[in-house]
Amino acid sequence: MTASTAAVGIHGVTKRFGEDVVAVDDIDLEIQDGEFFSLLGPSGCGKTTTLRMIAGLEYPTAGSIRIFGEEMGLRPPNKRPINTVFQSYALFPHMNVEDNIGFGLRMQKVEKAEVSSRVGEAIDLVRLTGLNSRRPGELSGGQQQRVALARALVNRPKVLLLDEPLGALDLKLRQTMQLELKDIQSNVGITFVYVTHDQEEALTMSDRIGVMNHGQLVQVGRSEDIYEFPSNMFVAGFVGEMSFLPGEVVETGSVRLAGGEVVRARTDSSPGTSITLILRPEKLHLYGEVSEVPPGRNVLNGSVSRRTFYGNSLSYEVELGASGSFDVQVENVPSQTRWDVGDKVVIDFHHEAASALAE
Amino acid sequence: MTLTDERKPSEEEAANPELERGAERREAWRGFLHAVPAYAYLIVFFVLPLVIVFVFSFASRGRTGRPLLEDWNVDGWARLTDPLVRTIVGRSLLVAVMNTVFCLVIGYAFAYWIATRRKQSTRTLLLILVLIPFWSNFLVRTYAWRMLLDSDGYITQLGEFTGLWGRTLFTLPAVFLGLLYGYLPFMVLPLYAAIERIDWSLVEAGRDLYASGVKAFLRITLPLSRPGIIAGSILVFVPSLGAYVTPDILGGAKTTLLGNFIVTQFGAARNWPFGSALSGAILIVMLLATILYFRTGGRTV
Ligand SMILES: Nc1ncnc2c1ncn2[C@@H]1O[C@H](COP(=O)(O)OP(=O)(O)OP(=O)(O)O)[C@@H](O)[C@H]1O
Ligand SMILES: [Mg+2]
Repeated sequence: MTASTAAVGIHGVTKRFGEDVVAVDDIDLEIQDGEFFSLLGPSGCGKTTTLRMIAGLEYPTAGSIRIFGEEMGLRPPNKRPINTVFQSYALFPHMNVEDNIGFGLRMQKVEKAEVSSRVGEAIDLVRLTGLNSRRPGELSGGQQQRVALARALVNRPKVLLLDEPLGALDLKLRQTMQLELKDIQSNVGITFVYVTHDQEEALTMSDRIGVMNHGQLVQVGRSEDIYEFPSNMFVAGFVGEMSFLPGEVVETGSVRLAGGEVVRARTDSSPGTSITLILRPEKLHLYGEVSEVPPGRNVLNGSVSRRTFYGNSLSYEVELGASGSFDVQVENVPSQTRWDVGDKVVIDFHHEAASALAE
Repeated sequence: MTLTDERKPSEEEAANPELERGAERREAWRGFLHAVPAYAYLIVFFVLPLVIVFVFSFASRGRTGRPLLEDWNVDGWARLTDPLVRTIVGRSLLVAVMNTVFCLVIGYAFAYWIATRRKQSTRTLLLILVLIPFWSNFLVRTYAWRMLLDSDGYITQLGEFTGLWGRTLFTLPAVFLGLLYGYLPFMVLPLYAAIERIDWSLVEAGRDLYASGVKAFLRITLPLSRPGIIAGSILVFVPSLGAYVTPDILGGAKTTLLGNFIVTQFGAARNWPFGSALSGAILIVMLLATILYFRTGGRTV
């Protein structure tokens, strides 16, 4: 096993169902050992299918899947050093918590004494102590989720696959479990491949994220890079809030909007290219007068066309006339001026906060 | 102050169970009203005849064979220990158990195969095929088997052609074949219902947790089909034990089963008390066996 061997290597993998459905479309991806990797994308984009192919529950129509350099081919799931936490948990209803968790070890013919000690450890790890002899039907959603996690972790797999494991939980519990999962992952040091359609969840938990759309992997990168530097319109729109303004590149680092205003922004296209300028609402500031804006910033004039209250923040929709409109998010603190619909405002942003994306 | 504070909740607690009990009582009464027609039916057509059978089992037999409700005795029950009765009971039990096992093995494979067809329309079609035999009378179908198994029947001809078997009519194998044919649907239907309900992601989870295909079947699919196995087995075992038509038409004199034996007591032999005692005994045994099966089924499979 060399240092460069990926925990999971996916090379040119395509999965078709019948003639028409292309669930996964020519994916290349390497997930490193010990990494918390998330597959993020909207419903039906092929996340589950990708995961099932890694698990061996589905076989690729084309391409190869390697686990620590070993070609998986048509190897059945029971012969892969991988375990899965299923979307619906798939706990065995006819077995109690202990037997559910010990199932994998018993199937691997691990000695009885070791099975019970490892099951005990796993139960403690996921904080289910005392619930050993309950049936899954007698557990709450969060507890079932922990059993599913323990049942997979107890086998000490080289890679753990998780398919929207928190999808069925309410918001508060989900946030708690996110932190717990992340802790468990860094404690056991196993590679996690985590599927979710919740971009916030992916951003909070992952080292790296792979964004999928229509069966294709559209961007792979560190969570922060995915958020700060989306490489295409889909990622820009799917991850976080984003405003879009049409325009064209004037020269490197400079963009002209549809209304004629010229602003400085990050560009990587040649002059004359039509682009879309993307801006995060929280990276913009509103002022009443141009004189208040710190020197060296981009300045645009507009008027407030809508105000939305979010509790910890307020969102203003600002009209720029011919250039379009965008959202500005402002923290709800006393030092911030409250604007009303119709107010004339000056928008200011740092040139690093705006990117020009070629269509 | 503390005193009143402590008292208040205890008063409320005392009030709540009373309310709950009232609701339960009303619920029970409503349930009873709903069930009145069913109770009436059961009493008239089930309990009453059973009581009559029981009463007659202690009656005496007149000179002409007429049952007399005078000299009460237990002769009918005493005859149950006859060697002949024992042979017949043993044979019937063997036939019923074997038939249940055959039906279970064949029926499970078949039900599993239907339940795992991908398209709903295919599954429906296959189920209809299972039910089609019911469109014609059981007696007629049994006579059809008689023709197939007779000297010049196709099955006999096939056996003679291959040299594997001869005429099977009026032998125990013929009875087995007839019973298997007759009761297989009763096994397939509940098994199908149970297998179709199984969440296949459980089997996938098993495979993911290092179970081979066979292990996953034994540890997950089979236990989860238990309701179907129990229902199917009872639906086949009980009528097999009392089977009358099939052994009567396809079996010979040497293969008399309980059902035929009882009919004989009420008919040709004109011994109602003995026939009643036999019927009562079967009923008791069957009841015990069913309870036992449910109990053990709850633990093992
Ligand atoms: N067994 C199958 N037969 C036919 N089509 C399938 C099958 N499984 C998945 N698909 C299709 O493949 C596509 C991808 O499905 P997949 O389950 O991987 O999506 P997903 O990203 O996990 O979505 P979700 O977030 O809703 O779970 C979908 O269009 C789906 O309809
Ligand atoms: Mg999915």
